[in-house]
Amino acid sequence: MAVTGRAVVVAVLAVVAVAISGVMGAWVTAIALGALVALLAADVALAASPRAMRLSREGDTTLRLGDSATVHLVLANPTRRTLRGWVRDAWPPSANAAPRTAPVRVDTGERRRLTTTLTPTRRGDARAAGVTVRSIGPMGLAGRQRTLSAEWTVRTLPPFHSRRHLPGKLSRLRELEGQHTAMVRGQGSEFDSLRDYVPGDDVRSIDWRATARGDGVVVRTWRPERDRRILIVLDTGRTSAGRVGDTPRLDHSMDAALLLAALAGKAGDRVDFLAYDRRIRAQVRSSGKGSQVARIVEAMAPLEAELLESDPAGMVSTVLGTQGKARRLVVLLTDLNATALEEGLLPKLGALTSRHLVMVAAVTDPAVGAMAAERGGADALYRAAAAERTLSGRRRVTAELRRMGVEVVDADPEHIAPALADAYINLKAQGRL
Amino acid sequence: MTAPAPTVSPAPAAPRPGSADPRGGGPARLWRSVRVPLLLFTVFVVVVVLLSLGAERFPEGYLEPESVSPDGTRALVRLLEEDGEVEIARSSSDAADAVSDAGDDVVLLVSLDHRLLPEEVERLADLDVDTVLVQPSLTTLSAFAPGVDVTGRIDEGAALVPSCDLPGAAAAGEAGVGGELYTAAGDADAMGCYPSATGDALLRVTGDGATTTVLGTGHPLTNGALAGHGNAALALNLLAADEVVWLRPDTPQVGGGSSLWELLPSGVRWSVVPLVATLGLLAVWRGRRMGALVPEALPVVVRAAETTEGRAGLYQSHRARDRAADALRRGFRERAAPKLGLDPDASPEAVVAAVAARTGDDAVRLRGVIYGDRPDPFTADDRSLVRLADELDERTRKLR
Repeated sequence: MAVTGRAVVVAVLAVVAVAISGVMGAWVTAIALGALVALLAADVALAASPRAMRLSREGDTTLRLGDSATVHLVLANPTRRTLRGWVRDAWPPSANAAPRTAPVRVDTGERRRLTTTLTPTRRGDARAAGVTVRSIGPMGLAGRQRTLSAEWTVRTLPPFHSRRHLPGKLSRLRELEGQHTAMVRGQGSEFDSLRDYVPGDDVRSIDWRATARGDGVVVRTWRPERDRRILIVLDTGRTSAGRVGDTPRLDHSMDAALLLAALAGKAGDRVDFLAYDRRIRAQVRSSGKGSQVARIVEAMAPLEAELLESDPAGMVSTVLGTQGKARRLVVLLTDLNATALEEGLLPKLGALTSRHLVMVAAVTDPAVGAMAAERGGADALYRAAAAERTLSGRRRVTAELRRMGVEVVDADPEHIAPALADAYINLKAQGRL
Repeated sequence: MTAPAPTVSPAPAAPRPGSADPRGGGPARLWRSVRVPLLLFTVFVVVVVLLSLGAERFPEGYLEPESVSPDGTRALVRLLEEDGEVEIARSSSDAADAVSDAGDDVVLLVSLDHRLLPEEVERLADLDVDTVLVQPSLTTLSAFAPGVDVTGRIDEGAALVPSCDLPGAAAAGEAGVGGELYTAAGDADAMGCYPSATGDALLRVTGDGATTTVLGTGHPLTNGALAGHGNAALALNLLAADEVVWLRPDTPQVGGGSSLWELLPSGVRWSVVPLVATLGLLAVWRGRRMGALVPEALPVVVRAAETTEGRAGLYQSHRARDRAADALRRGFRERAAPKLGLDPDASPEAVVAAVAARTGDDAVRLRGVIYGDRPDPFTADDRSLVRLADELDERTRKLR
C-alpha cells in the first residue's frame, strides 16, 4: 500500500469542503471521508499487481574499481492491466547505483528495460538487493508495492593502477631477453637454438660440432631462462588492514602483485597466486601457458584483510606442501612489522629458504617517515622518537631477512609495484630464478 | 569458504548486520541504547521532586481560613474546630447546602460578600440561620438587616470597649474592632456594641428567629490580631455554635461558558476529522519507503601508522625522555652507519671514531650525544631533549 501526493491533495479538498459546509458538517464529513476511502481503495484494487511482474537482468558482471558498470533490468508485465509507477533497483550503498528510482509505464504484455549505472567505491562483489515495484492505480491516488528478487552480482576488480609501469618494465625485460640473440652463455640463460653465423656474431658462440656437420658456420643462441615458477603469496592478516594513504596496505600489495604477475607472464614464467592468513583465502594455480593475470584479478576481487594474526607456520607448510616440489620464487607480500615477523615468520622461514628463493615485499608508510622528521618541541620529538623506533624495528627485521638470504623490497605505495618488478627483473638477469 | 580448486574466488562473507558486533547483541544492546535516556529521565524526576519538596503553598488572602499569613484566619478556624465543626464554603450555593445539611446549632459567617451576586445574597439572606456579616457591602447589609446603615468609620483595628449587654461582647471586653460603624433605624430590634462617635462597631439585629451580627471589620479575626485585646474571645463568642459555615466566596469567573472552539462554525470544527486523515495520508506519502534499506558489511580500516602514533602518545603522557632519546640516537646511528661504511654491528668506539673523523667533534662529547652518558644530561627535561635532537640533526647535516 502506498499513496501519492495527489491523494493528499484530494484529502485537502475534502478538508476544504467540510470546512465550508456549515451546519451540514457531520454529513459532509462522513460523505467526504467515505468518498476518499472509496477512491483510494478503488485505485489500489485497480493497480496492476506488482507481484505478477516478471524480472530478468542483463549487463556487466565485472568492472575495474573506478569504472562504471551498467546493469539492465527487464520488466515484463504479463497482467491485463497497465503498470504505472516507480521501480527501485536496490544495491548496497557502496555500489552507488543511479538512478535510485525510475518512473515506469509498462502496457499489458509489454516489456521495459531499465538501466542502472553502478559506480562502486569498493572492491569486491556487489549483490542486487531486490527490486521494489510500486504500482499506482489509474487515478494516480494510491497503489501497491512489492519487493521482488532479481539476482545479479557485479564484481569490482582491483584497479591495477600500476599497469602504466608495464610497458617500461617489459622493454627492460626485452633488453634482457635479447633482441640481441647471440647473447653470451652464462648464468640466467639457457640454450635457445642454432642458426647460421652472420658477421658480427661473437666467435665464441660458434658451435663447432654443428658446423662440422653442415655446410656453413653455425652459432648457438642463448636466451634468458623461461618457464620458471613464481608463487605470489598475499598476506591478508591484520597487518594488511592498515591504511597507507587512503588505501589499505592489502590493495597496494595487490597492485604490486598484479604488475609482477603480468610481467612474469609476459616473460614466459608461470605464476601461481595464494592469499593466506590463517587459511587459504584465494588460490590460483597456473595451468600451462598464458597469462594468469585475469584469473588472479578475479581471485583478488573479493579479498578483504581479516582482523586476525597471520599464521606463518601454516603459510609455510601450505607453500611447501601443496605447491609442488620444484624450486620457485616465492614472493611474500606482507608488512615488515618487527614484532609480527620476529615472533611469527622468521623462525619458520628457514624451511622455505632451503627449498625456494624467497622475496619479501612490503609497503612503507610515508606517514611514519614524516613523523620521524618532525621537530620543534618536545611533543614533536616524542612522535619522532616513536617513528624512529618503528623504522628501527623495520631495519632490524630487514637485516635479519637479508641475512637469511631473503630478498627484501621495501618501498612506499607509489614505488612498491615498480620496485618489485625491478627486483624480479634483476633476479632474472642474474639467473637466480 | 575455500576449496583447493585451481581458481578460488571465495564468496564474500555476508555477515548479517549486528552479528559481527563483538560487544554482544540482544539485551545488552537494548540496555546500552536505553540507559542514557533512562538516566536523564531519572535525574529529571529526582530534581523535580527535590524542587517541589518544602514548596507546599498555603492559600493566601484576607480572611482566608487556610492562610497562615497575618491577614489569614487559620488560627481562629483551628480554635473553632476544637469545639465544633467548621465548614468552609467557597460559593453561596456551597454555603447554603452546608447550612441546610448542618444541625440546629449553626452559625454562618459571610466575608468578602462583595464577590457575591445580588441574587446570591438574597438567597443567603432567606436562610433561617444565625449570621455574622464581616464588613458587609450595603447591598448585603440591606438584605440581611434592613434598617441598619453605615454611619461612620474609624481606624481599622482601633480598640473599643463593649459597653453593651451582649453577653459575648461583654465577656470579651475591650477588642480591636475599629472599622465601619453602624446605626440601626429606630424600629429595628437591634443591639449595638463597641460604640464610637458616630455609631457602633458591632451590631446585632434579631429578626424572625435568627440573629444577624454585623461586624465592621475582619481585623480581630485575623491571625495577626487574634491574640490582641479580647479579640479571640469576641470571635469565639460570636461564632459559638456546634457548626460554623465559613463563607469566603472565590472570585467569580468572568465571561460566558463558551470557548473559542465553541464559537467556531460547526463546519470548521468538523473539518478536523478530514484534516487528521490528510495528515495521515501525508505521512504515508512521504514516509513510505521504496523497499528496505540495504545493509552492507564494510571492512575495518585503520591507519597503518596508528600503532606508532599510539606509542608516541605513551611517550608523551609519561614524558619518557630516556626512551625517546634512545630511539632518536639509534635512528641516527642506523642511518649514519651505511654512510660511514660501517657494519651495523660496529662497536660504539668505532662509530664514535668514524663520526668524529667526519664532523671534527670531540670524541668524548660525541659519545655523550650519540650514545648517551650515565647520567644523561639530555634527558633531564624536555628542553634538553630538544637540544639532543638539534645536536643529532647537526651531525646528520655534516655527514651528508
